[in-house]
Amino acid sequence: MDAKKRKHRYTMVIVQDRCIGCMACYSACKFEWEVPINKEMFRTQVLEIEKKGVDGNPVVTFLPILCNHCDNAPCVDVCPTGASYKREEDGIVLVEPSMCIGCKACMEACPYNARYYNEELTAVDKCTFCLPRISNGLEPACVATCVGEARNFGDLNDRNSKVYKLLKDAKKVWRLQEDKGTLPNVYYVSMND
Amino acid sequence: MAKITRRAFIKTAAITTSALAAGSVFSKSSSAKSKKELYDEKMTHYDKGKTSFTYCEMCFWNCGVIAHTRNGVVHKLEGNPFNPNNRGHLCAKGNSGIMSLYDPNRLKYPLIRVGKRGEGKFKKASWDEAFDYVANKLKEITSKYGAKSVASFLHGTGEEPFIILSHAIGTPNVVIPAYSQCMGSREVGWVLTYGTGVSGHSTFDFKNSKYIISFGRNLLGALQVREAEDVTEALARGAKLVYCDPRFSETAAKAYRWLPVRPGTDLALILGIIHVMIRDGLVNMDFVNKYCFGFSQLAEHVKQYTPEWAEKETGIDATTIETVAWEFAKYAPNVVAVPPRRFSRYGNDTQTSRAIAILNALAGNWGVPGGIWVRSKYAYILAEYNRGECDVREIEFREPKEGEPPKPTDERADGAGTLFPLAPKSLGRENGMIEATRMQKPYPIKAWLLYGTNPIGSSSIGKNKLVEEVIPNLDFIVDIDIIPNDISMYADVILPESVYLERYDLPHIQKDAYPFIAIREPAVKPLFDTKGAWDIAKGIAERLGHGKYFEKSVEGRIEEILKELPEEQRKELKEKGVVVFEGTQPFPQAAGEELKFKTPSKKVELYSTKLAKFYEEKKDEYYYPLPKYVPPVQPKESGAYRLLFGRVPMHTHARTQNNKMLAEIYPENELWINEEEARKLGLKEHDKVVLHSLETGVDSEPIKVKPTARIRRDCVFIAHGFGHISKFLEVAYKKGASDSSLCSDGVDRISGAAALNNAFVKIKKVRG
Ligand code: SF4
Ligand code: SF4
Ligand code: SF4
Repeated sequence: MDAKKRKHRYTMVIVQDRCIGCMACYSACKFEWEVPINKEMFRTQVLEIEKKGVDGNPVVTFLPILCNHCDNAPCVDVCPTGASYKREEDGIVLVEPSMCIGCKACMEACPYNARYYNEELTAVDKCTFCLPRISNGLEPACVATCVGEARNFGDLNDRNSKVYKLLKDAKKVWRLQEDKGTLPNVYYVSMND
Repeated sequence: MAKITRRAFIKTAAITTSALAAGSVFSKSSSAKSKKELYDEKMTHYDKGKTSFTYCEMCFWNCGVIAHTRNGVVHKLEGNPFNPNNRGHLCAKGNSGIMSLYDPNRLKYPLIRVGKRGEGKFKKASWDEAFDYVANKLKEITSKYGAKSVASFLHGTGEEPFIILSHAIGTPNVVIPAYSQCMGSREVGWVLTYGTGVSGHSTFDFKNSKYIISFGRNLLGALQVREAEDVTEALARGAKLVYCDPRFSETAAKAYRWLPVRPGTDLALILGIIHVMIRDGLVNMDFVNKYCFGFSQLAEHVKQYTPEWAEKETGIDATTIETVAWEFAKYAPNVVAVPPRRFSRYGNDTQTSRAIAILNALAGNWGVPGGIWVRSKYAYILAEYNRGECDVREIEFREPKEGEPPKPTDERADGAGTLFPLAPKSLGRENGMIEATRMQKPYPIKAWLLYGTNPIGSSSIGKNKLVEEVIPNLDFIVDIDIIPNDISMYADVILPESVYLERYDLPHIQKDAYPFIAIREPAVKPLFDTKGAWDIAKGIAERLGHGKYFEKSVEGRIEEILKELPEEQRKELKEKGVVVFEGTQPFPQAAGEELKFKTPSKKVELYSTKLAKFYEEKKDEYYYPLPKYVPPVQPKESGAYRLLFGRVPMHTHARTQNNKMLAEIYPENELWINEEEARKLGLKEHDKVVLHSLETGVDSEPIKVKPTARIRRDCVFIAHGFGHISKFLEVAYKKGASDSSLCSDGVDRISGAAALNNAFVKIKKVRG
């Protein structure tokens, strides 16, 4: 279905300048979703990327990553049982744990390392855009706690939403690995430069 | 429920009966249902559970928290959007309070030592037994050595009942370590200049600032939520951040200029900036003429401190110093120069603090948006306010209230108020108290009462000296905590406190731009046989015959405090967990009001009249009435690096390393070393090294190396609080290296606070 015709176009907009790498989102997400406490299991992460600037001084970027709820989702395409699917009405990509056979094909297919195998659920798990929270009028857990207010969530169909405004006002907008043709619904923006 | 938490329950269920009760509550929810079913249920209907208000105790910023409880289990903590400390957000620590509640290593019942000190052998005791034991021991000691032989080290929300208890016993030796180990020098410098401190909840209006210079205050890494929010907000609006630190921290990552200053020379840099401001006529003379004292002396004094001179001292080139001075002046008065929070660094800290205070004064930012707030005087708050949080005016911690014991007037053992006349008697010097215990001078210190403090992890004396030379002098150590931290191993009695999510506490009352009150109510009943601070102090006091000071229960005290509030606000407090008093004026200068300062001259003292008096008496150059540059201590041997330490966003002091969630994010510290130096030493990423401290002679536990361009070549950095020696901390035990066993025991001559970073280490590679 054409993304624009969906009832909701749920989107996360991450203001890159505002992420301070505090990892509050990481722990809020893990508690909200009872993600087992183990290094390789998470629904969202924040990467710390170090480079050298033109003046020789370090440049450090904090990069939050999560499932991009892609419109062209390779994880959904490869799932043999249909456990991974994309919701027509709002674009959220989900995994139905009772249908997941744990073949991990989706984990391979996802170019964003957004999925992990949850040993307790015996199923693959990943970010749900906090669907139960948003359908109850709350923000996703990571957004609600975000100390830098880097994370923003909303419906792009709503022209008054914060995400719509951010995308409109941003000086720079990009998505991760756009060349893969996955059409992510997580946007990164910079309000400066 | 996360598996890890359930595991914790199962494990503890086998041990105590109260845990069994908690376990059964939990199993009700999950009895027949599989994880998958629970997951599906969660996706279809969202149950936030019961909510209760509290304020966070994972650090001392005390953000507003709403706890969500389902079937008697806390499953989620959220920020209270009405609380000005955090506006709905919680940091990683705040979110992870759940894991501190369900930490399987928690202290679960009172313990009395049976083995040798440090051996870690204890027997389980009832509260009655434990209280009797403590009271008898204290009686014995005080009748033999006097009441002042008892020293209390207190840190956290429950400080107050233990202050009352200590005063009832009759000892003046109450130590609030946040003074000497952290903010003391900053506060003394600020008070000498402005008559008011910065305080724990700082008075900087970052949000509206246009230009922020931070002298080693890692605003975004050693984060406190409101400050971090305000700084990011300011940056998003185009403010400029200049960050001065030998290490490229999280804050440097957002700065537009990083000034990698030579460690310990910040004062030279600041004097250089002041020199340029005065030389080039960049000072806000309206403000200075009206409100400052001693400008001409200052102008004369800083003539010697040219940018070229500062360049030689600091390693920051003269043109950058000039540019920063010009930029700062350009945006004045909506600018702020920020002192470090932990200012127990190089022994010249009080003067450095003074210089930063002066830099602000030259911009005239007092009571101006984007500058420094003037905290409000809302009458109710003032009446109920316990203390100025390290606000080191010559006030006591607080005057005893009606029905409280009078303050003992004996001379303190740690030199606060005497040897260090400007160190407040109400807060004391932890470093001094440990030294007094070591020397048994000026009089014997025979008992320690520790509440929420772990001198092994926080003081400069480090494990070895403390264990060998201090602890043997003590007849008795009582440790009150929520986890068996390092010092607990050496305690004679351990009294387990309930975690903040299990208890009532007195309201959190904060003077602020807009003052507020927040309440704490339990989210769950205590899981184990633990008590809140008030009841623990009460139990001891009663047996010592001081029960009259603890007649009320905590709830009774809360009631008493809140009854002063108008009905409407009490209602609001119930509904929102917090009441903010708007309609105060944090920006009086901008509002055209006259400013007042509580210094002897009633002005901002660029030239300190108070220091001038001491200088005359003592002839000690540190007490010079104007900030005089004294170069930092240098290593006695070549090939040594200055040891810096500091915070990471996910840990607080030496108390959160056993929290499983936080340990997952940051399990152990690493040695930050400049990549060129690492190459020289033949070290690659993840190699392990041992740090040998030239000051303490101690070799650290092996620690992983992080070669990086993010630190100068003359220093190394480790995160504070690791290298725990308590074998009861299964997650944190022996993870990383302890900075406190390596750092120096230097002292700032004015404030008497520690100078922890005057230590140098040699690096030895570990094989394999
Ligand atoms: S939206 Fe929810 S599930 Fe996704 S990363 Fe954020 S908190 Fe986790
Ligand atoms: S909570 Fe926000 S600021 Fe902190 S790491 Fe996550 S995205 Fe970044
Ligand atoms: S900053 Fe974090 S740990 Fe400190 S009070 Fe706030 S939420 Fe708690």
